[in-house]
Amino acid sequence: MTFVHQEVWHWQIATYLFLGGLGGATFAISALIHLFEGCDRKMLSIAVMSSIGFLVLGTVFLLADMLQPLKAIYALTNPHSWIFWGVIFINFYFVSAIAYVIPLLEVWPKLNPYIQKIPAGILNLLERFNKLAALTGSAAGFLVAIYTGLLISAAPAISFWNTPALPLLFVISGFSTGAAFLLLLSTFSKNEESWKIIAKLEELDAMLIVTELIILGAYFNFALFLPTGARESAEVLFHSPLFIVGFFIFGLIVPLAIETYGIFFAKHDRKSGHLLVLASTMVLVGGYLLRYYVLKAGLFQFPW
Amino acid sequence: MVMDMRTCVGCQACMAACTAENKTPFWNGKFRTHVEDKTQGTFPDVRRVLLPRLCMHCENTPCLSACPTGATFMTEDGIVKVNYDRCIGCYACCIACPYDARYAYDREDVHKEEELYGKFTAHEQPHVDKCTFCDHRLEEGMEPACSSTCPTHSRIFGDLDDPNSEVHKLATSGRAQALSQSLGTSPKVFYIPS
Repeated sequence: MTFVHQEVWHWQIATYLFLGGLGGATFAISALIHLFEGCDRKMLSIAVMSSIGFLVLGTVFLLADMLQPLKAIYALTNPHSWIFWGVIFINFYFVSAIAYVIPLLEVWPKLNPYIQKIPAGILNLLERFNKLAALTGSAAGFLVAIYTGLLISAAPAISFWNTPALPLLFVISGFSTGAAFLLLLSTFSKNEESWKIIAKLEELDAMLIVTELIILGAYFNFALFLPTGARESAEVLFHSPLFIVGFFIFGLIVPLAIETYGIFFAKHDRKSGHLLVLASTMVLVGGYLLRYYVLKAGLFQFPW
Repeated sequence: MVMDMRTCVGCQACMAACTAENKTPFWNGKFRTHVEDKTQGTFPDVRRVLLPRLCMHCENTPCLSACPTGATFMTEDGIVKVNYDRCIGCYACCIACPYDARYAYDREDVHKEEELYGKFTAHEQPHVDKCTFCDHRLEEGMEPACSSTCPTHSRIFGDLDDPNSEVHKLATSGRAQALSQSLGTSPKVFYIPS
């Protein structure tokens, strides 16, 4: 038995996985807040445009890592492959997100001349089906976020990846980074109503971090007690200071402590805003480190 | 194919023959076939194990399922191949393969090949590369380069479905076994342990 580090997918793919989870989740959370709570349309349009930007950038990183990016259209050939479904989910997401955001952009007077160029019939249709686009985009956002985990779990010889816990971990972590990004964005809002949204996002992110900790516990429990490459991978991670300090302590525990303090003790004012900026940034950096280190710790278990 | 580990001497003539036949990027240490040279046990109970390996041409093919473009396909004879024109080089197949049988033939390798062998001799564009059991030789009635070169008859090639063939007899003798059978890949390469 030989354990060999995978040398195929590096930081570019980690960035793609991070931006995929972040973009999908940012859209899903903001559209659902819009549907169920109502919110400032300016902030909402910034959030949705950012989520589209994250996925465009993520796709650029994915294409840059390919040997033949100009032939990427062929990826829509084999439905047994997760990449096939990833392409479907991402395109479904782009169509829904763009259809959803166009009517929202009317709140920006500078963009109005461009929006007016769209035929009135189409604009009316987009306005009429705005809620449907929010729902389908949210579903697609969720699928993109979970796909990032499904993609790398399809590796029979990398036992640390080949587990149902990984897609769950990535989707929860993706939603946590999405909530953290929206929290960060909301702290810049001058609208007094934004504190209501901030309180909701703070609670949501804290719950997601607790869920992530539970999944991490189950994941490492599985990995450490099996005499396979998964145990070797888990040990690699335990010996990576940046994974323990950067992801686990500063990416999960400290932001959870700050958010818990915010939920129960803080008055929502400018001072607690600074703490929130700090917590959200740490969650985002932690989310990236998680993906980078999970990829780095991927060990093939070869039979020789 | 059957690998008789009792007779392999680790001369690596199979690797040399394969790279000469298929113009694989030896200059970057990339080969379609390898000979693993392992030491097993602890002193004084130590032994050397030589394990020749290549694509197992699995019946249940993880790389084929992972390939989004359909570039990886199985021929009617059960040989797993890559259609270079369709390969986008996403590496999903390299991650899915449990036998380390694939590598990237990248842009640098294409240029180096051109420099060494002339324009477009085998690999005219970047793609993921793997063993084809030298199917171009099979069409001419010859054996794969590795098995025809092996001086100790450690690599035995033939039609597994032909009950009179040497490979069929060895593969069903009870002595031969496939690697990582628990993964359910049903490889078409068998090993007779030393």
